[in-house]
Amino acid sequence: MSEDELDPVIHAPARLRIMVTLATVPEGDNLSFTRLQDLIGLTPGNLITHLRKLEDAEYVTTLKSGSGVTARTAVSLTSAGRAALDRYSAVVRELLGSVSPEPRS
Amino acid sequence: MKEDADSGNGTGMDVQQAAAIMQDTTERAQRALIVRRPVLFAVWGVAWLVADGTIWLSVRDQHPYSGPTPASLLVLTLVVAAAAAITTVLVGRAGSGVGGWTVLQRRILLLSYLGGYIGLFALEAAIDHAGASRAVLGVYGAAAPILLAGLVVAASSALNLDWSVFGLGIWLLAVAAGSGFAGPVSVWAVSALAGGGALLLLAAAGLRRRRS
Repeated sequence: MSEDELDPVIHAPARLRIMVTLATVPEGDNLSFTRLQDLIGLTPGNLITHLRKLEDAEYVTTLKSGSGVTARTAVSLTSAGRAALDRYSAVVRELLGSVSPEPRS
Repeated sequence: MKEDADSGNGTGMDVQQAAAIMQDTTERAQRALIVRRPVLFAVWGVAWLVADGTIWLSVRDQHPYSGPTPASLLVLTLVVAAAAAITTVLVGRAGSGVGGWTVLQRRILLLSYLGGYIGLFALEAAIDHAGASRAVLGVYGAAAPILLAGLVVAASSALNLDWSVFGLGIWLLAVAAGSGFAGPVSVWAVSALAGGGALLLLAAAGLRRRRS
């Protein structure tokens, strides 16, 4: 197994943080754009850029509701996104296992 | 700390860095988004112990039993209000910006609990109206809220199949059913120790698990 098997959409620090943060909330729940931004520490423009890439891959969905002061953008992980993150984690674990040092005898 | 868009791309990120980011992000997100249950157990355990303990102190020398004193009921009200306020802050802070099913489930549970409480008070008034003695009302007043709490806690465990919460619910149902036999005075002491004490034990066990 090689690093080439890591999903390139997820294998970027900011997008990895977005995916992992969204995976913390239970399936069926979502995070507001502002709370996600607060947790990840990205500027709004950068967060939008990374969310677009994840949306293109159908890993996240964004849903806008309300208007004016009540406007809210909800961001959530899709089932495909959750499965992709599980696969990514499994590959990372596998690769870390294969590069871990031999136990001393 | 804000990050520019370029540093968010994968250039140069190796697998160890990816693993470190995943672990760090998971821990941060859990700290921010998940309510620490042992803290809630500790808050309500202390509140229960103090509230029912104070009522027991106010009724223990009553012969015949006449009911909790206004001062002890004021302590109960203040302690429960304080615990509810702390819970609201903790849950509100963790739940800020979170939407979806969990929020809806939490609201339904809260409404069920409040509805149940209104029902309990109405039933107590009906029992009083039907001529029940102070002793009967005392047993009901102490045990019925525990029965309701046990039922709500046990039912809420079905939402995410949490067996420790289910166990707590069943324990509270057992305490509610059994404590009534202690009589209108001792029921408060049994409730304080078996109910509040159980929550404090769960809090201690949860905190120990987190440290190990």
